[in-house]
Amino acid sequence: MARAWTSVMADIHHVTHSWLFTMKLFMRSEFFILTAGVQPVIFATIAFFLFSIGGDAAGEQTLLFAALGTGMMGVWSTTLFGGGGAIAWQRWERTLELLVSAPRRYDLTLLGQTLATASFGFYSMVATLVWGVVLFGMPLSANFPLMLPLALLAAVLGMGVMAMLLATTFVLYRHANALSNLLEYPIWIATGMIVPLAVLPGWLGPISWVLVPTWGMAAIRDAAIGAEPPWLAIVMCLVLSVAYYLIARRMLVYVIDKARRDATLNLA
Amino acid sequence: MSTETRPSSDGPLAIEALDLVRTYRTHLGVVRRRSIDVEAVRGISFEVRPGELFGLLGPNGAGKTTTIKMLTTLLLPTSGTASVMGFDLVTSTTEVRKRIGYVFGGEGGLYDRISGLDNLRFFAELYGVEPAAQRPRIDALLEMVGLTGREGEKVEGYSRGMRQRLHIARGLLHDPPVLFLDEPSLGLDPVGARELRRTIADLVAAGKTILLTTHYMFEADALCDRIAVINGGRIVASGTGADLKGAIADRGIIEIETFGVTEEAVERLRSDPDVIAVNTEDHEQSQILLIQSDRGTEITQRLIQHLGDTRIGKISAREPTLEDAYVHLIATTGDTDGSAARAAAVA
Repeated sequence: MARAWTSVMADIHHVTHSWLFTMKLFMRSEFFILTAGVQPVIFATIAFFLFSIGGDAAGEQTLLFAALGTGMMGVWSTTLFGGGGAIAWQRWERTLELLVSAPRRYDLTLLGQTLATASFGFYSMVATLVWGVVLFGMPLSANFPLMLPLALLAAVLGMGVMAMLLATTFVLYRHANALSNLLEYPIWIATGMIVPLAVLPGWLGPISWVLVPTWGMAAIRDAAIGAEPPWLAIVMCLVLSVAYYLIARRMLVYVIDKARRDATLNLA
Repeated sequence: MSTETRPSSDGPLAIEALDLVRTYRTHLGVVRRRSIDVEAVRGISFEVRPGELFGLLGPNGAGKTTTIKMLTTLLLPTSGTASVMGFDLVTSTTEVRKRIGYVFGGEGGLYDRISGLDNLRFFAELYGVEPAAQRPRIDALLEMVGLTGREGEKVEGYSRGMRQRLHIARGLLHDPPVLFLDEPSLGLDPVGARELRRTIADLVAAGKTILLTTHYMFEADALCDRIAVINGGRIVASGTGADLKGAIADRGIIEIETFGVTEEAVERLRSDPDVIAVNTEDHEQSQILLIQSDRGTEITQRLIQHLGDTRIGKISAREPTLEDAYVHLIATTGDTDGSAARAAAVA
């Protein structure tokens, strides 16, 4: 029992270490810094104009709905780009082979890396809200302020494991991250970031429910402007996150084995 | 000379490879796609004893890096078996990874935007070094590779030599008993390469087992206990440097510096019955002809006649080196199938 606990603690330490290290790498990347500086202004502008279309009758709640949605769009863009890029960059830098052949489990290293991209993405959301307040005078309030940090944490975890799931294909197919651009808009729409899920066609419902960002978005919105506490959305987010991680871990074993057979680990 | 397969009587071998084969499948064509199998390694067997420095020499595409990548668990062998410290590469991958360090030459393998220290901290965690032991271990390795005081600088500002020494420190973080060095001196200046050789010699003195691949013969001759020459995916000779040189010990080497030598003149030299081999080294403005003969300098006058009107610079005679033995081996063991890596259409 004690041995299992030590092993779990070592795994958590490793994920945290990988997360911190990747955050440090992002902070040293001019490209990421520039994106993080400019993108929130663009998304805050989108939120403002979405709000303006609704007119004065739309009220503060609608403005916040739009602002949180556009903020989440930024989170997804950053996560998608960072998750796909993490593998591609490490291929170019020839570090991927070293990570894969290290004694520590690679799935935990990758989880730390994709959680870091998601965390960096959430900076984008905060910045979008701040710019919304500064530039357009958006009001900021939360119906369940104590639950908001919990909702944010669950959403970061959800985004991180979703990026990990996508990244497993990037280990196998070196050009797969080119496809990541195609996933940006469908997820914005299907997870209710741009418009409420209620206005989407009914057949899209089941697809939305199995996408973890849907529940991350719902948790944050419910905490900010919902009538009920966002427990359901948070629990769904966590359950789907665990499921995504287990699938990604299983897939990673397969894709690394295949990459070792096909000699594609170091092909940039 | 044949491949050595001497059994060891002192515990497990550090590295043992038995009939390792690695085939790559690649695709040709866009509309009518077909795949071909390229045999990069074609049945390699060798063993390395604990504490030994074993060199793997061969031309580009001979199969050196493929062999190292199989031994470091990055590639699965197509057939054959191999073990490191008694652990099978395929069935005990994690156990093997705990016991090996892998260092390669050239660009890459480090995170340039952060400091050398941050790189080492990250890899120490990856290699399972206990948190409390990480900093003392890193400090000791920085001292060993001569980077103490420079560890806080970003890696992108390091010279090639500093990067290579940082690579070695990275490969040693978890104190592995076996170290794979894949052309570690690639691109280093003479001073950097000499410092690296000193570091490698220190590691062997400290009891590490090292498998080294290199293009530089003097490096292999100076460092390696035993050497295997690999060509066309097969080991064509192995033994000590002296063993390999012994294969052409009865020959002398005549070096003739020429300016603008023609192919016809070189062919005339080759057709001389007392000439065993002629190799040409192209320099900026001159060509050095390395002529192997068992008649020593007594045929020098005849060689000059073969060169005709070619302008000649210095002429000298010397004993054969490992490089001469290597060139001889590569020339005489060229792929009988016509290419170093045999390709066979399969679909």
